[in-house]
Amino acid sequence: MRSVRLSYGRWPALDKIEMDIEQGEFLVLSGPSGAGKTTLLRLIWMKEKPDSGFVEVAGFHSDRVGKRDLPQLRRKIGIVFQDFRLLHSRTVFDNVALPLQVTGAAGRIVQKRVIELLARMGLSHRRNSFPHELSGGEQQRVAIARAMVGHPVILLADEPTGNLDPEVSRQVVDLLLEINRGGTTVVMATHDPRQVPPGKGRFLFLDKGVLRGADRWAELEDEV
Amino acid sequence: MSILRSAVREIALNLHSKPGVRMITLLMVGLAFVVFDTFLVISWNLQNLMSREESLVGMEVFLNRDVVESQGRAIGDLISGMQGIQAVYYVSPQEAEALFRAELPSRTGLLDVMGTDFRLPSSLQITFETDLMDQERINELSRAVSAIEGVDEAVYGEDYLPGLVKTVSTIRQLVVLLGIVLVSSISLVVFYTVRLSVVRRSLTVEVMRTVGAPWWFIRIPFVVEGVLMGIAGSAGGLALAAVLSAVMAGAVAHRFMPVSWMTMVILLGAVTGTIGALAGSYEKERRI
Repeated sequence: MRSVRLSYGRWPALDKIEMDIEQGEFLVLSGPSGAGKTTLLRLIWMKEKPDSGFVEVAGFHSDRVGKRDLPQLRRKIGIVFQDFRLLHSRTVFDNVALPLQVTGAAGRIVQKRVIELLARMGLSHRRNSFPHELSGGEQQRVAIARAMVGHPVILLADEPTGNLDPEVSRQVVDLLLEINRGGTTVVMATHDPRQVPPGKGRFLFLDKGVLRGADRWAELEDEV
Repeated sequence: MSILRSAVREIALNLHSKPGVRMITLLMVGLAFVVFDTFLVISWNLQNLMSREESLVGMEVFLNRDVVESQGRAIGDLISGMQGIQAVYYVSPQEAEALFRAELPSRTGLLDVMGTDFRLPSSLQITFETDLMDQERINELSRAVSAIEGVDEAVYGEDYLPGLVKTVSTIRQLVVLLGIVLVSSISLVVFYTVRLSVVRRSLTVEVMRTVGAPWWFIRIPFVVEGVLMGIAGSAGGLALAAVLSAVMAGAVAHRFMPVSWMTMVILLGAVTGTIGALAGSYEKERRI
């Protein structure tokens, strides 16, 4: 991101954002509610476009990307939300399979990949369950499986532990760290950076739309 | 093929949910089509009536008394070369008298009073091409024929023909106008129904977008919903109009519209549904 500014009405949601995310890194984006964390993630998956400056993700430039290009970009990005956003009329299997089905992947490939991921997430026994039959932690793991099923280059997690108790939150963070160890870049937005153990990632602090840039856990902890 | 199978599945999932709203829409679309179909039936029957009249309507050209048969036939040849003329038949004075006596037997005394030297004028009976039912063109032709030397007078169904032509023309315009109003109003009904569907499935739409579904994949369930509502509504309206037509048949002699018109009505339903669905899904979906 270079010189990024984005306003909602008169109020700048983000201002003077300069940021690089290296391939394979685990970035923790922290800050209080309303600091602009979600907006910054939305810029990455190009749900929003900056008023000025630009964002470049996996070869897609915000100034040049067209509406028709967005699906291609989104297939390279996995997104996990605080409220899971699972489709309640579909089973766990179908929720996870969705990103592959919409891209026309062959049935047997979908089957193999989804079963493999569900096993990795410890959800094999839940494949035919519906989201409302799952606990919060299980739902978030389904959401992560859905985000990962298409082999994204970057995984965006927007307050992924916001609706979970501390123990389940720790499990989810561990899962994200494990995914990162597998080579996937992870950007996690959270209001509580202490969820990620020190030394496990790079920490950035957003305050009122401005990147304050504490890049070490120890320094950030002092600031908080 | 996999993506198409998935798209079909999405269509089925969409159609499966909230049938109540869809039934109300179907009812509204169906009723609108009943009104339209009724006008079509009226138009169809008037058109048939006009076609029958067309075969009867012609022009009678009375020739001057001094015009001999060869001259009369030459005038006939001249007229038959004019645009819009289907046939010209020469009626000699003797034939005219025979016709008069046959058609008006109670008035044959008039001819007897006129004496043996009296002769009815020779005339030409003209029939028009079927597409010459335009009042302007008939008047123009009448003026042209009247201007020919040897022609005394050209007469045609001035009394009722303009009225018939005008009525049919008005009904046709009304059907077209009604069609436009119908397309707009039904599109609007489908538009709002599809908008409701998009709102109902907003989470699905949002998730589809985040996982990189192509735009057509996201939109096709809504478009199919609109098309099906248009087709089902128009077919239902058609069926209801047919029942009404059968009920009314005893009171007013008429025929129901032909199969080709019914096909057009169903197509109109499909087009209307498509327009409404495309507009509704685009308008709402882009906001999600």
